[in-house]
Amino acid sequence: MSEENSISRIKKEFEELTSLEYREIASHLPGDRIPIGFFCPYVPEEMLHAAGAFPIRLMGAPIKMSHVQAHLPPNCCYLVKSSLESLLRGELDFLKGMIFSHTCDTMQGLSDIWAFQKRLTLQFNLMMPAYLNSEASRPYWKAEIERFREFLETNIGEVTPQNLTTAIQLFNRIRKNIREIYQLRRTLHEEITGADFANIIRAQYLMDRNQYQFLLSELLDLLSCQKKKEGRLVPIYLAGNMVHSAPYFALIEEAGATVVSDNLCSGARFLRLITREDIDPIEALTQRYFSSFLCPTKHGGSNDPIETLLREVEETGATGVVFLFYKYCESHYFDYPDLKRALEAKSIPTLLLEVDDPATSQGQLKIRIQAFIEMLSPI
Amino acid sequence: MSEDQLQTNPYRKINSTSAYRRLMMAYYFMVKHPSWFGKKVAWITSGGPVEPLYAMGVLPFYPENYGAMCGASRMSVSLCEAAEQKGYSHDLCSYALTDIGSFFTGKGPIGRLPKPDFLVCGNNICGTVIKWYEIQARALRAPLFFIDTPFFHDELHQHNLQYVEKQMGEYIAFLEDQTKRPFLEKRFKKVGSRSLEAISLWREILDLSRNQPAPFAAFDAFIHMAPIVTLRGTRWAVRYYQKLKRELEERVKKGLGAFAREEIRLVWDNIPIWYDIRNLSKLLSSNGAVLVADTYTSAWAMEEPDLTFSLDGLSRAYATIHLNRGLGYKMQKMAKLIEKFGAHGFLMHSNRSCKPYSLGQYDMRREVTRLTGKPGLIIEADHTDSRSYSPQQVEKQILIFLDIIRNKQQGST
Ligand code: SF4
Ligand code: SF4
Repeated sequence: MSEENSISRIKKEFEELTSLEYREIASHLPGDRIPIGFFCPYVPEEMLHAAGAFPIRLMGAPIKMSHVQAHLPPNCCYLVKSSLESLLRGELDFLKGMIFSHTCDTMQGLSDIWAFQKRLTLQFNLMMPAYLNSEASRPYWKAEIERFREFLETNIGEVTPQNLTTAIQLFNRIRKNIREIYQLRRTLHEEITGADFANIIRAQYLMDRNQYQFLLSELLDLLSCQKKKEGRLVPIYLAGNMVHSAPYFALIEEAGATVVSDNLCSGARFLRLITREDIDPIEALTQRYFSSFLCPTKHGGSNDPIETLLREVEETGATGVVFLFYKYCESHYFDYPDLKRALEAKSIPTLLLEVDDPATSQGQLKIRIQAFIEMLSPI
Repeated sequence: MSEDQLQTNPYRKINSTSAYRRLMMAYYFMVKHPSWFGKKVAWITSGGPVEPLYAMGVLPFYPENYGAMCGASRMSVSLCEAAEQKGYSHDLCSYALTDIGSFFTGKGPIGRLPKPDFLVCGNNICGTVIKWYEIQARALRAPLFFIDTPFFHDELHQHNLQYVEKQMGEYIAFLEDQTKRPFLEKRFKKVGSRSLEAISLWREILDLSRNQPAPFAAFDAFIHMAPIVTLRGTRWAVRYYQKLKRELEERVKKGLGAFAREEIRLVWDNIPIWYDIRNLSKLLSSNGAVLVADTYTSAWAMEEPDLTFSLDGLSRAYATIHLNRGLGYKMQKMAKLIEKFGAHGFLMHSNRSCKPYSLGQYDMRREVTRLTGKPGLIIEADHTDSRSYSPQQVEKQILIFLDIIRNKQQGST
């Protein structure tokens, strides 16, 4: 098989997997692990993996809302609404449990409502501190991770230091490989389009991680043999809460731009969660969240949101910033006006895109993205 | 609703209200001119630990309380719009938008807000305040102290308490640094004991409405709660609540209620709809219904305050407030209030501005009805921003709901 065909084969495998509905996913899961859901990377997947669970990240699925209105007011983000709808419809019944981590008020409310439905056997709230600069935050967070370990050991399986270290190594490799693919995309965006990359991100949560890692390595090898082309696409930084969703990346690329970096919790931010392998694994998992994983639901200093974004945009050489937000997300919308002002003061144009149900809003977005990219393109 | 109908159920004015007004005027005068009194001012969230501030001679200013004032005086909409023009989303908490709008325009019931020397933010009420206080700390170029009190969905863990306790220590160090004064344990204990006294008085006042008729309606409590929020820890608050309590005890002795007629007793959940309190109160009372208790003002009548008032006690008290606890607790609390106050039903304000209060209310309504057998009604509104409120629809819903209760009452007699 030619290299190009092999690349297509791997991409197709990822694409097929990510196009499955929750209901269909169950039959694709490795049978020897217990499926456990989670939303956000504050939950250390490595620990779930080490206990013998299969961690599945819920990233929002297109679904018709018909049950959720009886449990949630309308002003909640799509991720929260659609996930609860999936639960209420029984589409998540294949999960043995769900791990929530402390982020925003909506997620906090969802966790309680979720538990009250009593549809899944297990639920755990991992309470990540909201303040990262206190002397007290680290010991607290470490104790919380220990509590999580105890929960897993009682309900899933033992987390031996050996298993945990092996899991950390595996997940580190996965993140490093995805990072490399992200880098390569800058010069190989035809081989790995934005939509392909979004599928790669989503697929990791739906397949055996060893198998996934194997495919990633294979893909990397194949890509490194490809001829690099100097990109003429406009480099864009993507900011927001929206987890990777192929259509948005496609829209941006069709308009003549490419996402060179981002601060999505399914993207560059989560890819920075590399864990030290040379120290106690629990300590290593504790530490990694304090280095470079700030999201707007956490406080690391009043100026931190602005300084971090300015620095990252500058480092990546992006010439414009697209804010892609789920509607009703307070944490991000509060930051937005100051971020926009700060970027524009540095002559970096910005575009705000607000999305409620991703399935319905693409038409309107297309024109706005095109106009924005046109403005950024050299005359 | 005709004036005649209202006449059928006159409201009994609370005499202490004039003392309340004087008190709040004096407080706002002081926070507007702190240097005249040799004080510093700190902005603080409504669930933030205020006792250390008073102990250090710092005056607290509560943007949320001010937001309520803007809402009640119907100034919020224009202030929210001012914030929205600066790029803030209409969907954010309207207390925050009101405050931000007031900062930009210098407008509001007391004009430009007092510039704080520093800000103190506690997330035991919500995550919104983290962002809101960051924004204001940047705009005001003032230091921000943040106290993180992890939400507890079910159990309170030891390491959680230790975390809050350690931060209380950091808070004290921060205050010493800001005020250039040492923290005196003795002074803190004094403030603490006044705070406890005010909290106990407030609880006793609210409990008086277990009497039938209730001497103090929740709509009264919404107004008279300002000192327990802003002046907790001062002599002023204690004296004021002693006075109010005496007056209400007198009412109980004479068998007088807040309204002449009390046929239906209701419990309220969530923050009041500040701009429509008067109308709602009239609507209910003209139909013989009185709000006798609520989850909002009772949040300041802490259930198990630490009697020694140490820093540990303070940490526990602030880590366990109503809004920092899970849905199970909130359901139980609502059911207990209904039982304790002999209520016939409950009204829930689904408040688009406040997610910690409002998420879970739909399940809560069903569960509380299951637990108590009492019906509940959810009304959609916003605590200060009237733009998404439809009074006619709410009025209709309430009238139907009262009919249901009345029919139930008749059926059971
Ligand atoms: S998108 Fe925003 S509102 Fe929704 S869960 Fe994430 S942080 Fe919360
Ligand atoms: S979100 Fe709720 S608790 Fe938070 S500031 Fe707004 S009204 Fe208060």
